[in-house]
Amino acid sequence: MTEVQLLQTIGLSVVGLGGAILLFVKARFVRVVAFVSIVLGGFTLVALSIPQMASLPPGVEKFDVASIKDKKELASIGQKIFFGKGQCALCHTIGTGEGRCPDLKGIGSKLTRDFMYESLTQPQAYVYKDYEHVGPAKFFPAKMPYINKKPIGLSKNEILAVIAFLQNMSGEEVTVELSEIEVPGSAGSASRRGVL
Amino acid sequence: MGPHTSHRRSDNRQARQAGAVVPATRVWAYAALVFMLFTVAAPLGLAWGQEAPAGPATEYRDILPGVVGSRNLIWIIAQQHLLLAGFVLGVPIFAWVCEIVGVRTGDPRYDTLAKEFTKLLTSAYATTALFGGILLFLLIGLYPKLMSYLTDVFFPSFLVYCVLFLLETVTLYLYWYGWDSMQGATKGFHLFLGFLLNVFAFFIMIVPNSWATFQASPVVITEGSMWARAWAATWNPTWWPVNVHRLIANVVLGGFICGAYAGLKYLMAQSKEERVHYDWMGYVGNFIGVFGMLPLPFAGYWLMREVYQYNQQMGITLMGGFLSWLFILQAMLIGILFLGANYYFWLGIMYRIPGSEAKYRKPILAMLVILLICLGVWMTPHSLVASLEEARKMGGTHHPMLGVLGVMSAKMTVVNVMILVTFMSFVMYWRAGKQETATWAKAAKVGQGLILGIATVVILVLGVWGYFVPAITRINYFSTTQVLVMLFVLLTITPLTALVLKSAKTTTEMVWGIMPPRAAYALVLNAVMVILLMTLMGYARSSSRVHWHVYGVMQDTSPYAYSPALGYAAAFMSLNTFLFCLMVAFIFWVASLGGEKKGGAPGKARVKEAVRPAVAGAR
Ligand code: HEC
Ligand code: HEM
Repeated sequence: MTEVQLLQTIGLSVVGLGGAILLFVKARFVRVVAFVSIVLGGFTLVALSIPQMASLPPGVEKFDVASIKDKKELASIGQKIFFGKGQCALCHTIGTGEGRCPDLKGIGSKLTRDFMYESLTQPQAYVYKDYEHVGPAKFFPAKMPYINKKPIGLSKNEILAVIAFLQNMSGEEVTVELSEIEVPGSAGSASRRGVL
Repeated sequence: MGPHTSHRRSDNRQARQAGAVVPATRVWAYAALVFMLFTVAAPLGLAWGQEAPAGPATEYRDILPGVVGSRNLIWIIAQQHLLLAGFVLGVPIFAWVCEIVGVRTGDPRYDTLAKEFTKLLTSAYATTALFGGILLFLLIGLYPKLMSYLTDVFFPSFLVYCVLFLLETVTLYLYWYGWDSMQGATKGFHLFLGFLLNVFAFFIMIVPNSWATFQASPVVITEGSMWARAWAATWNPTWWPVNVHRLIANVVLGGFICGAYAGLKYLMAQSKEERVHYDWMGYVGNFIGVFGMLPLPFAGYWLMREVYQYNQQMGITLMGGFLSWLFILQAMLIGILFLGANYYFWLGIMYRIPGSEAKYRKPILAMLVILLICLGVWMTPHSLVASLEEARKMGGTHHPMLGVLGVMSAKMTVVNVMILVTFMSFVMYWRAGKQETATWAKAAKVGQGLILGIATVVILVLGVWGYFVPAITRINYFSTTQVLVMLFVLLTITPLTALVLKSAKTTTEMVWGIMPPRAAYALVLNAVMVILLMTLMGYARSSSRVHWHVYGVMQDTSPYAYSPALGYAAAFMSLNTFLFCLMVAFIFWVASLGGEKKGGAPGKARVKEAVRPAVAGAR
């Protein structure tokens, strides 16, 4: 039995028991308790009937430089980050039309790699389209966050992987070289950060 | 740690200097304060000290992992503490308002009611503190790293909190034990004590609010004194929105719990007098709950706006991401609450005012339909996703079909309409059974109809127009106009009705104590809904931080860093609600043990006057 099924069973039993009490018990206080149980059980059952999404902490994609064989693999790590730790998909779509934020389909061909890097690390440097004022009215305007800072806080390696993904999915050649991926803790990784 | 220590030392020096000029009579208060400080600070100091050793300090401890788990235990204890706290902060407001109404109207029932509830406070207060203590010790034990960080940031406000706690306790005892001796000439002073009680209670609420909101929207400054850093962290972007939303929500909680208590007592009542008394009490509780509820949606949206402004991802996680379904549950609960409150008014019209059934059947039906339509729109999600992958497939997080009804423009509109309907239910109830005699009564009626009609049209037009203007215009002008229009209706129709009814003659006396059991169950339902809402939104607040203890500053690296899915969470919320209800029932029962001999069942003397609808300029 899965957890959801177990909880559903419990919820149903609570509602059933409450119903039975309402039918057969006369004591007022007990009846009110039964009524409350039915309400609470019902609420739980409703909540169990909708999609069950837990929010997991982002998995840490390993950058075992030696084990990344080619750029494809780098791009696929980037894809995981795009949908996971990077939270990009919270705002961006890929080829399904513009919602809240710019659609990123083919972005790898439209933008140079450096521009993309800048878009992620200095998002306010060049606001090409003010998403706060155009398009269908939005109650809560969106802004591109700093990807290299907390709370998203991608490392340089991770950003490079995402860029590789964006280029790859746009059918472009990936211009991120494997040699650029830094071995964690190696000298120079701090000083070169953000330079590119 | 160096600089902090030195600051504390200098603070001590100041404290000693201040101590020299303190009159001796107040020394006991200081002694108690120092004692409390010590009790609270000592364990915290221990947790703090744990960082000192060079080896890896304990970051987390667990309790029966897999069976209970530290997070679940904290969840239950914190929720109980918070609900109790909401209760003991809401009840004084409720009691104080009743006391004032009692003085203004000269109706002794209100004073008795206020006193009855204040009596509950003393035991409820102790229980709250008990759970607060358990929570603190558990937090220190189970989350030492987080607590040491929070202590580091907030130590000064811990001190402030202790002082407030002391003041609140003293005031509460004076307020309660002085009730009977401060009648008549000194009643004014008693009212002042009630006011003070609520002022302290307010600050007691907002200080811990700063700790909780800091976790969601931290403001961290590294320079400045200990006090400066604590102050910056306290005044964080979501602090005031949460303060306001919670303050109002606590009044609602107090009102509806009073209603539920009255409902239960009504069901169990043995005599006619008891039924009359508890019927009336249920009415007052429901009234205060409903009127508290009216401004809540706006406070809620303000809070959400601040969240968005503070951090986009957090806002989207809440409203469009993994928590998007939560807001459907929220709308469902609030909708049921609105329905329950209206239903109770309607039953009141039908039963308390004999012969009015035929006259009001149609308007009530119309109101019901409007409410259901509004509820439907409100529950329509703006964006619903099953996963981030799905978000991509669906084309953004906007649902293609639901998008139109799901946006804020529509929601703000229906919220306003729902509030208007609820208000009109009340006005209808207020006027039922009375015949206006004033010569201008007709004109007033037409005027009221016009105000209501025009206001509704304006709200609807602005709602539709809102789709065609930029967001900024809509938020800054349209939504605010809608709210102002709604407030205008409330603020004009209420005094107008009061004026007209002043000279009205009562054709049908209000009859108390013959409501059907359904009405009592509706009262219980409303209370359960509010409590569930609090548990639900508490979960929303803490899971919007996702895997952070302090958003963007301190990551949760424990095995419990994930936020459970809604079904599992809802089971917890239900459990917490149930436990809290039982606890409140127990508190009420304990309080009733002492009173039974003294006061007996609510006095017979009160029955005779039990013919007037209450509150809001009743006369
Ligand atoms: C909070 C929502 C949000 C998140 C999360 C987010 N973005 Fe953005 N992004 C935006 C907005 C809004 C813009 C448009 C900024 C502007 O007006 O120029 C944008 C712009 C961009 C652009 C430039 C698009 C162009 O056409 O110039 C790129 C590339 C981009 N984002 C990639 C990413 C990646 C990769 C991630 C994840 C690591 C990400 N974004 C996360 C909101 C977001
Ligand atoms: C009539 C409408 C509403 C009612 C009755 C209501 C009720 C409540 C209650 C009872 C709480 C718990 C307060 C506490 O902890 O003491 C709460 C908290 C909260 N509400 Fe509302 N609410 C309403 C509207 C909204 C709306 C429209 C939003 C947002 C869109 C909202 C967002 C929140 C959030 C985020 C919290 C958590 C705050 C916290 O406790 O830290 N509310 N609400």
